[in-house]
Amino acid sequence: MTAFTRKNADKPPVLVYEDVRKKYGGFTALDGVSLHVNAGEVVCLIGPSGSGKSTLLRCTNALETIDSGTVRFEGKPLPKADADIRKVRQRMGMVFQSFELFPHKTALENVAIGLTTVRKLPAQAAEERARALLAKVGLADKTANYPANLSGGQQQRVAIARALAMEPHVMLFDEPTSALDPETVGEVLNVMRDLAQEGMTMIVVTHEMSFARRVANWVVVFERGRLLEEGPPQQIFEAPTVERTRDFLSHLGWDD
Amino acid sequence: MNLDWSIVWQSRGLLLEGALVTILLTALTMAIAVPGGIVLALMRGSRFKPVALFATGFVELFRNLPLLLLVYWAFYVMPVLTDLSLSPFTTGLTALCLNVSAYNSETFRSGINSIRKGQTEAGLAIGMSRAQVFRQIILPQAWRRVLPILASTWVSLFKDTSLVSVIAVGELAHTAMQIRSQSFRVLEMLTAMGAIYWLMGYPQAKLTDWIHRKYGARE
Repeated sequence: MTAFTRKNADKPPVLVYEDVRKKYGGFTALDGVSLHVNAGEVVCLIGPSGSGKSTLLRCTNALETIDSGTVRFEGKPLPKADADIRKVRQRMGMVFQSFELFPHKTALENVAIGLTTVRKLPAQAAEERARALLAKVGLADKTANYPANLSGGQQQRVAIARALAMEPHVMLFDEPTSALDPETVGEVLNVMRDLAQEGMTMIVVTHEMSFARRVANWVVVFERGRLLEEGPPQQIFEAPTVERTRDFLSHLGWDD
Repeated sequence: MNLDWSIVWQSRGLLLEGALVTILLTALTMAIAVPGGIVLALMRGSRFKPVALFATGFVELFRNLPLLLLVYWAFYVMPVLTDLSLSPFTTGLTALCLNVSAYNSETFRSGINSIRKGQTEAGLAIGMSRAQVFRQIILPQAWRRVLPILASTWVSLFKDTSLVSVIAVGELAHTAMQIRSQSFRVLEMLTAMGAIYWLMGYPQAKLTDWIHRKYGARE
């Protein structure tokens, strides 16, 4: 078997995690995670619930603070000061499991709010850009809708557009399809796949194994706050080297 | 019993004036106690402990004292403590604001806490500051949720303003009582006072009901 070369392996990675540790009281959420993500890669984080995947994602844009270790984004450790971390967050789009659209704002306003409040763009320019982004995720005709009048899949696509509005260098997806009705999962995964094809760097916490298998460049398996195994999807899904990975995948019906 | 209702008509100018003072007192109290309540709620949530402690103390003190006592206290004790000599109107307004701010603070606190944490995170994730998140995301949503409670507070307050009559603020109750004691037309004046309060209060209560139906308890 020839050695697998990761995408953009010759360039500095976008994100580097070094021995990242995080505890909630007595519960160890992250127990020394080291990992890196290259430019343009789609890295899927898989593993049982509570294994630390989402926590790692939330530590990436400092929604959670880490106890020890480092998270480096574009070469620099995450800053401590509030104003600096806000600049970093603008470069990282985040998509939540429960969408978290702002219910008192229309789809258009949801996408534009970051541009007007954070980027201080004039309302007109922000609206144009928001419109274009909603068109990109296939919701050109829903700009005036409030979230309550959108399906789950549509809401999540608005949420993706909202994150993209800030022109992030990396997109963080925290179980983006877990709260969706099965019939709308596909539309969200399609948007994510298109984004991946455009070369967006993406970290995706997911239970959608078929997405991980088809779209990911790199798959990381978590268990109890540790990396169980990482590798290209072919390796993880077809020839996992770790017994526990095989167990986990077989529980999901991926044992072939 | 010998009733003479003409006293009510003769006093219409004074009663109208009193009613206007009552409305003014209610509106001013709310205009101060709504922002006051928001500030207190924010202070209670502060990560800076002394600030949170001060706000908690303020709220628990003024929420649990009888309003009548507060009115007397503001009238007799506050000038001694602060060396301020305020008009009865301002003194009454102060007592009402202390009480209603404390109530509104609890209202806003529950409203703010009822907004999911994910909403804050979604705002932070696009690079908004905590202040921006509060103003643009949390407060507008919390506002809708607490509006029915604020409306109920308004209606109670409207009636409770009558308590400041004890320090001779010329609002509706005090005016009516003054006319009563000068004319000895007790039954007439009390009835008139009741009718005026009710006629003004009923539409407000109905409006509150409407607000409850429109904004009350829904996601």
